[in-house]
Amino acid sequence: MPADHSFISVGGLAKHFGGIHAVQDLSFGLDRREIVGLIGPNGSGKTTTINMLTGVLRPDDGTIAVDGVDMARSPAHHFARSGIARTFQVPRLFRRMTVMENLMVPALSDPSERRASATLRAREILAFLRLDHLADDYARALSGGQQKLLELGRALMLKPRLLLLDEPFAGVHPRLLEQIIDHIRSLNRDGHTIVVVDHNLEAIQSVVSRTIVMTRGRKIADGAVAEVLQDPEVVRAYTGARAKQ
Amino acid sequence: MRPMPRLSFSHAVQALLLAVAVLLPLVVGAYWTHVGAIAWYYALLAASWALLAGYAGQFSFAHMAFAALGGYASALFVEKLGLPLPLAIILALFLAMVMGALIAALVLRLSGPYLALFTLAISEIFRLVLVAEDEITRGMLGLEVPGFFPGSSDRPYYYLGLALVVLCVLGMNMLLSTRVGLFLRAIREDEGAARTSGIDTTRYKILVFVVTSGIAALAGTYYGHFIGILTPNIAILPEMGLVIAMAVIGGIESLPGAVIGAVVVYLLSESLRSYGEWRFVLLGLVLILVQRFAQNGLFPFIERLGRKQRPAPALKAAPVPANSVEDGHAG
Repeated sequence: MPADHSFISVGGLAKHFGGIHAVQDLSFGLDRREIVGLIGPNGSGKTTTINMLTGVLRPDDGTIAVDGVDMARSPAHHFARSGIARTFQVPRLFRRMTVMENLMVPALSDPSERRASATLRAREILAFLRLDHLADDYARALSGGQQKLLELGRALMLKPRLLLLDEPFAGVHPRLLEQIIDHIRSLNRDGHTIVVVDHNLEAIQSVVSRTIVMTRGRKIADGAVAEVLQDPEVVRAYTGARAKQ
Repeated sequence: MRPMPRLSFSHAVQALLLAVAVLLPLVVGAYWTHVGAIAWYYALLAASWALLAGYAGQFSFAHMAFAALGGYASALFVEKLGLPLPLAIILALFLAMVMGALIAALVLRLSGPYLALFTLAISEIFRLVLVAEDEITRGMLGLEVPGFFPGSSDRPYYYLGLALVVLCVLGMNMLLSTRVGLFLRAIREDEGAARTSGIDTTRYKILVFVVTSGIAALAGTYYGHFIGILTPNIAILPEMGLVIAMAVIGGIESLPGAVIGAVVVYLLSESLRSYGEWRFVLLGLVLILVQRFAQNGLFPFIERLGRKQRPAPALKAAPVPANSVEDGHAG
């Protein structure tokens, strides 16, 4: 277990929707270059957590310290500009814009980035994701898996320090799933801190070193994957959820 | 990025139409010159609304209120405050742009039908204020507005209107060619995703409201000083509907398209004047046919036809058909 957690430090995070406590008193830390799984049954507050960590939702309570600076009340574009990038459960691309234009948007949101250097970087990322042959196509014309990859590429254009991937393995072809896993490992090797939210425990286990488990808005476990999955409370949360389904 | 051949054909068509527009008053009579001068008023409104709604996705119904604000403010600054006309116009545009920023700030969290309804309410309130405050605006009797030019010829107004349209379209196109244009389209596509991509969407939404409010006010100022009288009817809902129809028929995601739509619809409307109310039925049919057979508008349709006459490369720019998704190698 990393001890320092100096990069990201989440403390007492809470979010309510009416009477529903989506996230309650959530605290955890992330080290640089760490790769962490965030798992839990449906409705456990994973996506709400990601939304708060990217400024999409403003927490009702708690802190999100990035390099010691609390950003909990900052707008989403401040999170993005400070190197916290994300993907969505269902890809949210700029559908009537080309693949290349989708990548140029985050790159050019940095006023100091020149168009030529952004284009060069976009071409490198498209090659890395094996989408380079689709650069001039409209995003809406891509297959579901390609859209997930493009959204990952769009996040990478922000030169992220922390990458939050919301269900990257959901609904993708097994061959593409392996490709996405390879990309996540490769990005982590390149120094990115990554949080992966997904229901595919097998895929999660193959990429993460540490897992945080949530249920009903609360953290119930945090540690090495093998240990966490043996935790009786985690087993109960999962089997209970399955029994209800 | 979009290939260049498309732009080349588009530029050729625009240059041809511009040449026709320049020469038209020399070959037609005073009546059609007058009609043409009014068409430029609608062209300014349709093009600026296309930028606001077509590019940035902000479906505002307050556009005619800004035209009215520009026209009335300019006229009242001259009449009530005795300001020189150029200063009155500048102040009127500034006022409209400030109001545009304020309304943008009010509607930041609204989109789709909520934004449309909110801006429609603002527009109606403004129109009713113009009616009610008849001691200042002369209400439905109409406010007399001094002209720009001496004499009774409409030709100077025609060329002034044409120059304003060309300058505004060039200016808006320049804006769209910068990263701002890319951000506006991203906001239109998915505002939340634009925010998480690092875009300060508040800033760019206010910017586009300010720019388009200013151009709408410029159009209203031009119209008021040309026609010589302003009534609150300038901001009635059917006028807003007409501007939307013009932009949609011409091409809501194309500034030259919106200009062409405005000119075509207004000239058609005047040509069919002898048919009374039936002309609106015919215009409705035109709108339906365009939506059915040229969904992106007349100008993009003409551009596409032009590309089909050319060698293959230009075809790559067309939206990729759905069947290309199957093999994952679209295009």
